[in-house]
Amino acid sequence: MNLVLDFAPPLVFAALGGVLSERAGVVNIGLEGMMRFGAFAAAAGSILSGSPWIGLACGALAGAAAAGVHALLSLRFRADQVVSGIALNLVALGLVTYLLQSLFGSSGVSPPAPALPRDRFGHSALSYAALAVPVLFHLWLSRAPSGLRVRAVGEHPRTAATLGVRVLRLRAICVLCSGALAGVGGATLSVGILGQFDARMPAGQGFMALAAMVFGKWTPLGAAAAAFFFAAADAAQRQLSFSLHAADLRLDGLFLALPYALTLVVLALGLGRTRAPAANGVPYDPEGRD
Amino acid sequence: MPELRARLFAPARDPLWGAVTALVVSLLVSFVAIAATGRDAMAGFGDLLSGAFGGPGPLGETAIKAAVLTLTGLSVAVAFTVGLFNIGAEGQLVWGALAAAVIGRFDVPGAMLLALAGAALGGGSWGLLAGWLKVRRGVHEVISTILLNWVAFHVVHGWLVPGPLAAAGSGAEVSVAGTEAISRAAWLPRLLSGSRLDLGFPLALGVAAAVWFLLTRTRRGFEWRAAGAGRAAAFASGIPVGRRICEAMALSGGLAGLAGALLILGTEHKYPGVFRTGYGFDGIAVALVGGGSAAGTLVSAIVFGALRAGATRLQLIGIHPSFAELTQGLAVLLVAAPGMFRPLFARLRGRAAEGLVPAEPP
Repeated sequence: MNLVLDFAPPLVFAALGGVLSERAGVVNIGLEGMMRFGAFAAAAGSILSGSPWIGLACGALAGAAAAGVHALLSLRFRADQVVSGIALNLVALGLVTYLLQSLFGSSGVSPPAPALPRDRFGHSALSYAALAVPVLFHLWLSRAPSGLRVRAVGEHPRTAATLGVRVLRLRAICVLCSGALAGVGGATLSVGILGQFDARMPAGQGFMALAAMVFGKWTPLGAAAAAFFFAAADAAQRQLSFSLHAADLRLDGLFLALPYALTLVVLALGLGRTRAPAANGVPYDPEGRD
Repeated sequence: MPELRARLFAPARDPLWGAVTALVVSLLVSFVAIAATGRDAMAGFGDLLSGAFGGPGPLGETAIKAAVLTLTGLSVAVAFTVGLFNIGAEGQLVWGALAAAVIGRFDVPGAMLLALAGAALGGGSWGLLAGWLKVRRGVHEVISTILLNWVAFHVVHGWLVPGPLAAAGSGAEVSVAGTEAISRAAWLPRLLSGSRLDLGFPLALGVAAAVWFLLTRTRRGFEWRAAGAGRAAAFASGIPVGRRICEAMALSGGLAGLAGALLILGTEHKYPGVFRTGYGFDGIAVALVGGGSAAGTLVSAIVFGALRAGATRLQLIGIHPSFAELTQGLAVLLVAAPGMFRPLFARLRGRAAEGLVPAEPP
């Protein structure tokens, strides 16, 4: 359980980022890249300023900045959202390694970064935030007028526009906040858990967050629950691997594959009628006619 | 400003121009980035060029990388023709590589051909699975291929390679040892002394030509393109759209599987314990920059292959080889930008013309 509270937060934040962007109608394959920028910026900010909290803020900002590129390309220029997200991931892979090299002269890990303080159970504030934020997010999305507007531009932007919602602006805000959430997720990896940046971060966690978002049917609570479930599978694998290795059984991969395979099965069987937001991935042209 | 933009991007409507623009601009930006960190960018680019083309050794490295990128790029491009976005080339490549490593252990004449065929089948079935999920179960291929990637990585790297298929007697080193070495009969023959250039590059050229022929000169290729251009129209004119999508995804996966086989049979000679190639993801970049055509894919694969091969030389002036990835990412960002490739993405989204959005076939 302790491990779960450590593993889950990066996934929870990134998955919520995915939910926010996609509920507003913008596909976000770039979560992985945004997490990477966030993880690196958090470590760098923490090292340079000496405060992990400033690092965390840097992580959120870097994630949002990366998301800004995605928003610019996919909203302003109506680029294909999948392409734009993939490009972001590629740039993140190269640019962050490059920055790591030029800033800290290492291609493996950054120097140790001041990490967030932990309570007596060994958890940082982010672990508890990962429990609270999904609930707040859910209440906002389902109850607040602005949450309704976000859902409207993701389901039927034209209708929302006729009611006076500025579709592109709202979508841009959602994508930026999505990037900030993913950035915080990445920061959780570097200044929250490890206390340094590792060149391999986030090692597919962004894609796992994407799977959690789908598994959770694009709802904040569902996505967070899926993230906790995936983290539990990860933790169980680590606990079991010691005893399994002792018995000369190397089944780690099967455990790790489980969350992804389960998500596929759920999608394939159409359990509980999984459905993406109607206008997800469809560029919006304010002057077009649908 | 609008005039400037129109001038900048007008030629880009032609896919080839778009590719060239994207490549040149991204190289320029990278050049400036190097110069901005106070390094000698001219010398760096000189090193890059000599690392990619200077003599048989570097040329061989470029060709090896270009061959693999050509195949993964074609994999993505073939899926584009039926309007599908195959993010799963990396996972399909992993299965192809594993099949090649397993079959290549048999020391029989023709082991190489068997291994190649097995790799195509291995990758192809993983691609077909994504196609089936799309057609029969309505699972979006972007989601399913991402998930299938991670299933493949974990099952192969976390279980099969360190577990049942691990080389005997590797003991504690088991996690990095990989599988048993393949037999000499399965190696791709080397073509030049003093270079690692092997049969892979000619093979990739041949495959590119075959894919070009299939897509542009055969009835099947036409039906694939029709299915991609407008599903409803294709369906109404009697093309079994679902079948065609599955076929194209199987071929797409098979090409990625072949790419995996080139890595195993050409350079690794076993399934290594640590095998993170990224070639599958790079294939997306290659296909996008190549405008989704076979010829464009080949050209951009050679450019990116040279960039990858040359980037190792950049370490001499203290630049990490990730520079190649950075340039590649920039090129894709540019390709994704305004108006370039509008025809391709119109096709991808299944729109025959502006404002005409055909419904999904039943």
